[in-house]
Amino acid sequence: MSENKTLRIALTKGRLEKDTVGLFEKIGFDVTQLREKGRKLILPVPGQNIEVVLAKAADVITYVEHGACDLGVVGKDTIMEHGGKYFEIADLGFGSCRFALAVRRGDGFYGGYGVKTVATKYPAVTRAFFERKKMDVEIVKIEGSVELAPLLGIADGIVDIVETGTTLKENGLVVFEDVAPISARLIVNTVSMKLKKESIDELTEKMIKALE
Amino acid sequence: MKRYDLLTPEGTRDLLFDECVALREADAKLRGIFLRRGYTEAVTPGLEFYDVFSSKSRYFSQEDMYKLTDAKGRLMVMRPDSTMPIARLVGTRLREEVFPLKLFYSQTIYRVNPKNSGRDDEFFQSGIEIIGGDVRRSDLEALSVAIDVMAAFEAEDYRFEIGDSAFFAILSSQLGLDEEQLDEVRTLVQNKNYSELSECLSVHCGNPYAAALAQLPKLFGGREVFDEAEKILPDENTKFVLKRLRELYDNLCALGAGERMTVDLGMVSRNEDYYTGVVFKGYAAGYGMPVLTGGRYDKLISDFGVDMPATGFAVNVNAVAHLIMNNAHGRLTKLPDVVVFAEEGSLVDGMLHCRELISDGLTVDHADFKTLDEAKAYAKERGIPRLDVVSGGDVTILNLSDGKEA
Repeated sequence: MSENKTLRIALTKGRLEKDTVGLFEKIGFDVTQLREKGRKLILPVPGQNIEVVLAKAADVITYVEHGACDLGVVGKDTIMEHGGKYFEIADLGFGSCRFALAVRRGDGFYGGYGVKTVATKYPAVTRAFFERKKMDVEIVKIEGSVELAPLLGIADGIVDIVETGTTLKENGLVVFEDVAPISARLIVNTVSMKLKKESIDELTEKMIKALE
Repeated sequence: MKRYDLLTPEGTRDLLFDECVALREADAKLRGIFLRRGYTEAVTPGLEFYDVFSSKSRYFSQEDMYKLTDAKGRLMVMRPDSTMPIARLVGTRLREEVFPLKLFYSQTIYRVNPKNSGRDDEFFQSGIEIIGGDVRRSDLEALSVAIDVMAAFEAEDYRFEIGDSAFFAILSSQLGLDEEQLDEVRTLVQNKNYSELSECLSVHCGNPYAAALAQLPKLFGGREVFDEAEKILPDENTKFVLKRLRELYDNLCALGAGERMTVDLGMVSRNEDYYTGVVFKGYAAGYGMPVLTGGRYDKLISDFGVDMPATGFAVNVNAVAHLIMNNAHGRLTKLPDVVVFAEEGSLVDGMLHCRELISDGLTVDHADFKTLDEAKAYAKERGIPRLDVVSGGDVTILNLSDGKEA
């Protein structure tokens, strides 16, 4: 855990960070330092005993799991891919999109006896999805634009994050099946939750109230 | 070329100097507490048959265990836990013993953690098991030992948390969930995922058991939790469990744990059916995971042929050692009091002098050097203030802190 009285919260850099800072502003926190942060990665919230840490999504989970940060704001996509032991106490609603299985327009997916190949940036999510269906699939991990894989013929479909579906459409792909909804979650270290219950409850309540 | 000859496997580490002192100190403290309360030690094999951990119930998933095969090709595991081997012992060699049986253990545990998670795959675990005995009394006994353990380590701040896995078991059993749904609900309760839990249970709208289950993970904190729970719990069975837990809570407060006590009714057993009653955890400031975990496991021993209630807990000794290191100001490792150097021709006299000093209660480091200068340099470098030089029957004591003969 971070020091006794201070709450340290890790935010996923980028869009979730902006949305959370917006939420903090709505609560009435002084967010000037969070807005004009320069290259600093640990930032205080004046007068609040709260410290903000900026990190990549997967690292938010690591810091919270190890207790280096008490709380974290991270997407459900990262939670599903990385797992881990922590409390996931609130759905913050923003950053919402979904995991979906997409195929080339006009293609099916489940037909035939051959083992299907699925390209994805999220192998754990993909594996869990097809395990629930008791279905063997071959998973190919792709780092960049996953949409390419079916077009280049190395995969029958992709599992990826879909927001508007524009990228899929422009590449001749369509959503075949939804896998899971995604949004930003507030996660808490299991020990902090017990040792700093009051201040965590207070912050969580404020955040949820500001969401309404 | 050998790639791994200078490395230790991921999840393992060498312990040196202060780390070892802290570890042994932690172990000795725990051992002292257990021995004084009448527990006797059990040491079980580091290698066990896979079947011991996979038999009738699936308490351990196979991904979490290190496996190897013996000379006959049988599947073995590196001990992932000490409770199952002790249950095996109770079902076999200890059948005829006087019960309740109070055992403790202190040994290494091996678990496969996710890659790059930074967790130890090998760690020291120490704990107790009470097998047989009245449920109420042995719960109180196990918990009061656990509280003594937490208090012994003088962590800057610590909390002791109790709950009962029966709440989840009773409430969820009334919803007609299949195995997969049950797993899902259990995970949501365990992760305190309030929003998804409510959503998942919304199909049981109007069912008082589902309503109580949805509130369960929120029921944690101090004494007020019992009153809140009283209003929410739907039937006599769950209210009885609550009454028992409240009694235990009050008893532990009366034993002086008051300000450290918390309760969490949303504590569930990670593995199906492992815990069957009171469960508890110890948290210490400065360590991101529970230091102590335990609970009642009344079904486990019956897997090994003897039906007997049991409870116990395990302490992560490495975590406790970590706390000791954090609290220690300065070095934990004690330097020898004296370096003894024997001149050529006086080697036996040198050794006799060592013996004499040891019997006087000093710690002695015999200088394995050819010359006095080397011995002096060595003692100075290590910061040992006294050097005894043995020559024939004579001993000269050099005080190295001021460089003069004493």
